[in-house]
Amino acid sequence: MAAVIRKLLPFPSPNPKRDNRESDDDDETSSGYRIEYSFASEYKGPLIANVPRALPVEVDQIPTALPVSFSSLRSGISYPVAPLVMTKDTKRPPDSGIEKKNGFVDSAAGSSVVLIGRDVVSGSSSSSSSKRLDVPEEVKSPADFRLSPSSPLSASAREEDHLDDDRVSDVGPRAVRFVEPFQSSECDESSYVSDGESIAATHRAERKGKRGSCYRCQLGNRFTEKEVCIVCDAKYCFNCVRRAMGAMPEGRKCQACIGYRIDESKRASLGKCSRMLKRHLTDSELRQVMNAEITCKANQLPSRLIIVNDKPLSEDELYTLQTCPNPPKKLKPGHYWYDKVAGYWGKIGEKPSQIISPNNSIGGYISEKVSNGDTEIYINGREITKPELTMLKWAGVQCEGKPHFWVDSDGSYREEGQKHPIGNIWSKKRAKIACAVFSLPVPPASSAVEPYDVPLYEQKMLNKLLLIGSEKGGATTIYKQARSLYNVSFSLEDRERIKFIIQTNLYTYLAMVLEAHERFEKEMSNDQSSGNVGDETSAKPGNSINPRLKHFSDWVLKEKEDGNLKIFPPSSRENAQTVADLWRVPAIQATYKRLRDTLPRNAVYFLERILEISRSEYDPSDMDILQAEGLSSMEGLSCVDFSFPSTSQEESLESDYQHDTDMKYQLIRLNPRSLGENWKLLEMFEDADLVIFCVSLTDYAENIEDGEGNIVNKMLATKQLFENMVTHPSLANKRFLLVLTKFDLLEEKIEEVPLRTCEWFEDFNPLISQNQTSRHNPPMAQRAFHYIGYKFKRLYDSILEPVNMRGRSFKPKLFVCQVSLESDTVDNALRYAREILKWHVEETSMFQEMSTTSIEASSSS
Amino acid sequence: MSVSELKERHAVATETVNNLRDQLRQRRLQLLDTDVARYSAAQGRTRVSFGATDLVCCRTLQGHTGKVYSLDWTPERNRIVSASQDGRLIVWNALTSQKTHAIKLPCAWVMTCAFSPNGQSVACGGLDSVCSIFSLSSTADKDGTVPVSRMLTGHRGYVSCCQYVPNEDAHLITSSGDQTCILWDVTTGLKTSVFGGEFQSGHTADVLSVSISGSNPNWFISGSCDSTARLWDTRAASRAVRTFHGHEGDVNTVKFFPDGYRFGTGSDDGTCRLYDIRTGHQLQVYQPHGDGENGPVTSIAFSVSGRLLFAGYASNNTCYVWDTLLGEVVLDLGLQQDSHRNRISCLGLSADGSALCTGSWDSNLKIWAFGGHRRVI
Repeated sequence: MAAVIRKLLPFPSPNPKRDNRESDDDDETSSGYRIEYSFASEYKGPLIANVPRALPVEVDQIPTALPVSFSSLRSGISYPVAPLVMTKDTKRPPDSGIEKKNGFVDSAAGSSVVLIGRDVVSGSSSSSSSKRLDVPEEVKSPADFRLSPSSPLSASAREEDHLDDDRVSDVGPRAVRFVEPFQSSECDESSYVSDGESIAATHRAERKGKRGSCYRCQLGNRFTEKEVCIVCDAKYCFNCVRRAMGAMPEGRKCQACIGYRIDESKRASLGKCSRMLKRHLTDSELRQVMNAEITCKANQLPSRLIIVNDKPLSEDELYTLQTCPNPPKKLKPGHYWYDKVAGYWGKIGEKPSQIISPNNSIGGYISEKVSNGDTEIYINGREITKPELTMLKWAGVQCEGKPHFWVDSDGSYREEGQKHPIGNIWSKKRAKIACAVFSLPVPPASSAVEPYDVPLYEQKMLNKLLLIGSEKGGATTIYKQARSLYNVSFSLEDRERIKFIIQTNLYTYLAMVLEAHERFEKEMSNDQSSGNVGDETSAKPGNSINPRLKHFSDWVLKEKEDGNLKIFPPSSRENAQTVADLWRVPAIQATYKRLRDTLPRNAVYFLERILEISRSEYDPSDMDILQAEGLSSMEGLSCVDFSFPSTSQEESLESDYQHDTDMKYQLIRLNPRSLGENWKLLEMFEDADLVIFCVSLTDYAENIEDGEGNIVNKMLATKQLFENMVTHPSLANKRFLLVLTKFDLLEEKIEEVPLRTCEWFEDFNPLISQNQTSRHNPPMAQRAFHYIGYKFKRLYDSILEPVNMRGRSFKPKLFVCQVSLESDTVDNALRYAREILKWHVEETSMFQEMSTTSIEASSSS
Repeated sequence: MSVSELKERHAVATETVNNLRDQLRQRRLQLLDTDVARYSAAQGRTRVSFGATDLVCCRTLQGHTGKVYSLDWTPERNRIVSASQDGRLIVWNALTSQKTHAIKLPCAWVMTCAFSPNGQSVACGGLDSVCSIFSLSSTADKDGTVPVSRMLTGHRGYVSCCQYVPNEDAHLITSSGDQTCILWDVTTGLKTSVFGGEFQSGHTADVLSVSISGSNPNWFISGSCDSTARLWDTRAASRAVRTFHGHEGDVNTVKFFPDGYRFGTGSDDGTCRLYDIRTGHQLQVYQPHGDGENGPVTSIAFSVSGRLLFAGYASNNTCYVWDTLLGEVVLDLGLQQDSHRNRISCLGLSADGSALCTGSWDSNLKIWAFGGHRRVI
């Protein structure tokens, strides 16, 4: 690619012979450091007379070209008709010619200017300059440059015009055209270039047969039913219509006319077909064709043909105009003027025809002569016409002394430069009567009251819930639960991948058992060697592993040490039998039984079913997926769309409290590790509505190694992550829901390891009543949960700045709820998230202050 | 050999490496008595000046509904592919601003996209850690979903950047959050080589950007969160050819200089730098005046001659045009008419150099080129 460019563009090539690396370093410092950059160097050759030099551009001196000679199109008569058949001897309409060569310059003269500095003039002669800056100085060479004066009359005289003098055209805007050296290669682009609004010549079809006959088969008379092409007016009979019009991708057009603009006189009939066509096509076909006819781009009103205040509209502007509350009626191509302040709308040179919605930013500035008035009285900078003056007089407006008025859209008027309105034109009924008499427009009924903007906040249909948590923090479990809860099953590929992971995990678990087995064996042999010779029986199971299995188990252990377990499952078909055999060995079983209580729960779950899972045709069940570890580490991100099924309990609620069942929620599981350094990519999730931060309740009893190799309490690491997330700029002003997971595990753990193990929870000092049977004495786990939640809330409260919302400041709260492996709790948590979102919306819309509930009160359980 | 002994030796080796690196830096500083800007100022160069209409926004490509994160031009025809957070890839005709394809992605968090050299297919990658290839000739179904023609799976982190090897439709280089770059064979969907990762000479943090040399397709540069850029030779994946230090923040973007002997970088520290791959020197730092006010550099592009460097910054809608010779800002696209209303996230120059395309978080793309006239509003 670059090679091609270099061929095209004569910039000085790097000096390959002087390779600086070759020369030694000292040389570099002195003279050798004159590295020949391949920046374009200054031209030092002989003087060239006409170096294309860009003058400091003065906006008004540039021969700006209106892209298209609109005036010529408007009249439409002197327009050079280009029948498609005989392209050779007809002149191409000037506008399409301009279109074709348009580079990137917006609808006007373009050149393919290479983006280089102007003082970088390469040594190339002017032959290459057509690729460089093409500036008006070059006008002299007609090959490069062509002017097409665009007054309507000169369309035919165009050729002479541009031959005799280039600078004649003070007549009007000129079209400047640059010819690129690679015309031919660009020609194929010309079909694209149309931009949907190119002004292709609308041609008339010629009838070959007698009047009233079909244009194609020349049969029939004027009474035969025929369908008309909306471009060229050709009429086809029942037999020919499909042949002539084909599939009608743009509605009723001959195949040759597809892509062309429709005949303006037929605009009214868009989407209305003859009965014949209805018979011809099936209903669905007809609907499609008619729909295409109305909506397809080529059939739209070309925005550039509508010129408002001397400026052709862009598509956006036309759209604005057509969709404003009071659009101009029967908009046709042509020149219009528009008074943006008061909303007056009329044809150029005529009095106002309508009052449309004011303040649309369309078109150019209004000039004083647009309505051809001669009264010397001005309204919003436009000289008004006689009828208008009379009307003003009837309305009681003082018009002595040729005043200049400013009129607002509601009709109140004031003198130019004055602050206070003098009165309102429409306050007197006579004004409207006068308007009726002089056929002047009156303001539309609704103009006084602009349509009230009802949606203050747009009801979002998709809420994004961001699920963040540290490794093994239970976030993935929530994600998986949500999938099974709301019936969003995993796709086939996903299941395949999950199966892969489960099987990999299985080998890891197996390796754990084998390791333990080896350890036990060693202990036993040590025991043996220490003297108990007679104790043969205890050593027996260890020896009963046959060599093949021994080899296999050694291999598994070795692979585990190398971290290569990932490559296992592909070979697991062959290994399945071996695994089964190995598992049946009594020694392994014995080890497993001894080990069972110390193994992680998931390991036990899967090892119980090792025979089934190790098979290659194993298909993971939902429960398996829930139990599987390490799904998150495989992928950086997983997301699921779901909506809440309504429950009977909710239906009994008042409608105000009910949730929109159509509301979609997107749960995005993020692995903090996958977000790059410093969670750089978190900015992608700026639009999330709620952040669900998952913390495993059992973290307090675990230690992990941090980046520097120090052992830290996992809860503290999680706390650090939490702080980082809460203070991350991308998540500012987001609601946080803290989900404390693995509550069921906590219940077991709290008995073994006191909560105070973690230094953050040192002051956990539950009041334990002596009366153990008292029902006021909640279980320890419950207390621990509340305490941890409380700690996080305090933390959240301390790091967060109060949010200033519409003049009031309040501190957002942290919401807390708990979750265990049961699906109900996850459902509850997610429904709680939904409530929070709803509160949030209400808060922002009605700016209610947060209720003064205490920090502790909002936890649900 | 015991573990403690190994650790000791490792510490010693690390220190030696650091010492050597320091010496190298000292030596370089000693040798580097000037930079491009001072030298060319001494040569009496004058800065590029822009007239009012030399670079104007002449197209606004509207159609995305989310932040635009990446764009790429076709080599010869005037088409652009852009990737946005609304989960779509859109292929545009830059001349007419028409959309020719809109591809719905399975994963909405896309970070990069690229056009194949023949313009027949586009590649994209993102947080799903997969680089997906879509063929533009395949037909879309009702929802605009084009079947993925190839999934390049293997990265263990997000795919931050992808680029086709020039003139080879079958090869693609991706960079990823797993600290590696991978050269792929698209036809088979397999890795040809992996750069970095386990090896010491690889990046030690997420790789954010790659750029392949136009003159020598075997060379490519990668920029990473470890604030270095590295030069790789695709034929020798085992180690980086050269490591370029200098930046004080994540290197967000790298781009080869048109001649293929230099490259530019843009970083979180708010500077752009120009390095020479033959000497390994840092030739020039492009730092806007007034420290701290400019955010990280998000994207850079060179003009075809290399005289101009376009750099998009994370703060507001700043996009400076630097004179690479004099190290001065000659234009700020953010202050031009019709400029973006949000951060400019990606930049790209068309192959012939006649137009610049910018993509922004305001969900629009804009084409900048020489304007024959200035649009008056």
